[in-house]
Amino acid sequence: MKCEKKTFEKNPTSLSYVAILLLVVFAIVFGRAMYSGRNLSSMAFQMPEFGFVTLGMMLAFLLGGIDLSIIANANLSGILAAHILTGQWLPFIPEGMKIPVAIIGAILVSAALGSFNGLLITRFGAPSLIATLGTMTLYAGIGMAITGGKSIVGFPEAFTRIGIASMAGVPIIFIMFIIVAFLIGFFLERSRLGRKIYLCGESPVASLFSGIHNDRIIFIVFTIIGVLAGLSGLTIISRVNSAKVGYGDAYLLQSLIVCVIGGINPLGGRGRSIGIVIAVILMQMLSSSFTIMQLSPYATKMIWGLMLVVVMGLTRESDRIRRVSRRISEKVGIAKRRKDC
Amino acid sequence: MLKRHNGITNTEMALFAIILIYSIVVGVVNSGFFNIDTQFDIIRSSSYVMVLAMGLLVVMLSGGIDISFMAMALFGSYTATKILVSTGSSSILLAFAISMGVGIGLGIINALLVSWLRLPPFIITLGTSNLFHGVMATFIGAKTYGGGRLPPSYSNFGSSTLFKVHTDIGDVGLSTSILFVLGAVLLTYFLIYRTTVGRGIVALGNSEEATKRIGYKPLLLRIVAYGYMGFLAGCAGMIYVCQVNAVYPDKMVGNELMVVAGVIIGGVSISGGKGRILGALLGIFIIYLLNSTLIFLGLTSSWNQLFVGAILIISVAVTSYQEKKKNQKHLIFNVSI
Repeated sequence: MKCEKKTFEKNPTSLSYVAILLLVVFAIVFGRAMYSGRNLSSMAFQMPEFGFVTLGMMLAFLLGGIDLSIIANANLSGILAAHILTGQWLPFIPEGMKIPVAIIGAILVSAALGSFNGLLITRFGAPSLIATLGTMTLYAGIGMAITGGKSIVGFPEAFTRIGIASMAGVPIIFIMFIIVAFLIGFFLERSRLGRKIYLCGESPVASLFSGIHNDRIIFIVFTIIGVLAGLSGLTIISRVNSAKVGYGDAYLLQSLIVCVIGGINPLGGRGRSIGIVIAVILMQMLSSSFTIMQLSPYATKMIWGLMLVVVMGLTRESDRIRRVSRRISEKVGIAKRRKDC
Repeated sequence: MLKRHNGITNTEMALFAIILIYSIVVGVVNSGFFNIDTQFDIIRSSSYVMVLAMGLLVVMLSGGIDISFMAMALFGSYTATKILVSTGSSSILLAFAISMGVGIGLGIINALLVSWLRLPPFIITLGTSNLFHGVMATFIGAKTYGGGRLPPSYSNFGSSTLFKVHTDIGDVGLSTSILFVLGAVLLTYFLIYRTTVGRGIVALGNSEEATKRIGYKPLLLRIVAYGYMGFLAGCAGMIYVCQVNAVYPDKMVGNELMVVAGVIIGGVSISGGKGRILGALLGIFIIYLLNSTLIFLGLTSSWNQLFVGAILIISVAVTSYQEKKKNQKHLIFNVSI
């Protein structure tokens, strides 16, 4: 059970301190502009599509891998749903059934695209970085070949209403995101499969020799990532009311930053889903503050890049300090025990 | 390992076959493909990427990866152009020197970060790529320099040719930039097969622990590998700028992954230690061939990614599968995800 403690002891407490600090700083600097009802709700509308992508990236990170194809997958399944919704494909479906068919179809396709990644990684032994680099190009290519680069518009109103509806002032898609994040966190920390994912990410060879079917776990995880991408794609097309290739390309870098800030180790085996939720909210607030400050896209780019490097550096240094202090305390303990004898 | 650069590998044979078959298909559908000007145009437009590929090959041999090369190329060429324009100088040599110097500096930053952070280099260089581009556009400048404001030596160099051939549509020439590709290839060959540092870089990609025990310093090897990437990126940036005869603050960046894809198609291993110059060149050539000839087949350029993705997946699947089978036979269980 010691292992369990170690995996989860990195409670994102330091992250919560940073979060609270930033909230206060934002309140002082921007005041009304940041905490006006309109800005808060617009942030809550933008968060879920990015949040789903980031949860997927987290799962890949937990295994010690990476999935570059999430956004291409989201766009492709969004395009498919858009074709069904506008009646360009499967026009024989009755009007009332279009929305459920489109949603189920998009989820199935995204799961299939995700499991194709899993297949490449497990069956063919391809490293996830290049396997998903290939599928990213392929999925974007399929999307381009279908649409020719144009965006698809004109969905039924009932569908676009999902993306802009809110319950008691909270957007429905945001509630969905929180539920999904909670489910994934619960499943990671309380189920046998979740435990195996941590083990497999911590040390694949050790988990292989303790009788865990690594391949099966990797396959399942990449399929789940695919489903998350599908959810993101549906959220995007419902909120933006159009589907096209290349939407949200900047999310790739941002999701990596959020994972690193959220305490997920890219080398695998460490991190919790609650960290991701806090980090996604922080990221959205930062993003929003950049908009309020009217920073140029280049300056934004610079800050994201700097953040990624700085956060990785801080994590590394704090890890080292922790290791050194543990060693010192161990030595002190030994010395004490010797004295007692 | 030293002997391996003689002869030709299976991957390269396969690539040659693909290029040959594809060329015949395109040629049959549209005989315009075999015109000398089409060929020269492919060589001209792919030359700066070929130079980049040589640097990427060295970095990947060291077991790392660098996707900030486009940002470095842009940073270098933009800085050089700005200095030239503001001092009124028109020396193309000075521009190349500045650009390469800036590239080396940025490459060393990458090397230091990779050594310090001990995290996947892909993530680190994705961060520095954004950082470099952002710093350049925020602190150095985000203006576009059109043809009229650039020193005339730029366009002279960009349109210069080694020799000219008479055709129906007028004289076409082989671009001088092919010399830079040749230079980069020879330099890379010399570096990885004829110097101790180069052998160290290849060794580092195979086993960092073993490399340390022989007495190499991994940090120094990384500085050489990433610095070399930066050096070639600076050079490639200037080639591109001269060919286009304009400097934009947002061009080049965004095409990184296509170059990475080309190098991987060429059989360069992502886990380091394996890869050959010829393979990397062929991989890049295939991508450019597709890029510029799909139009001959009556397909729009939006089909480009589809083909590149398919080839990349097939080549990755085949090479990884062979590797996996070999490992299973030798009871090696290095599971990489």
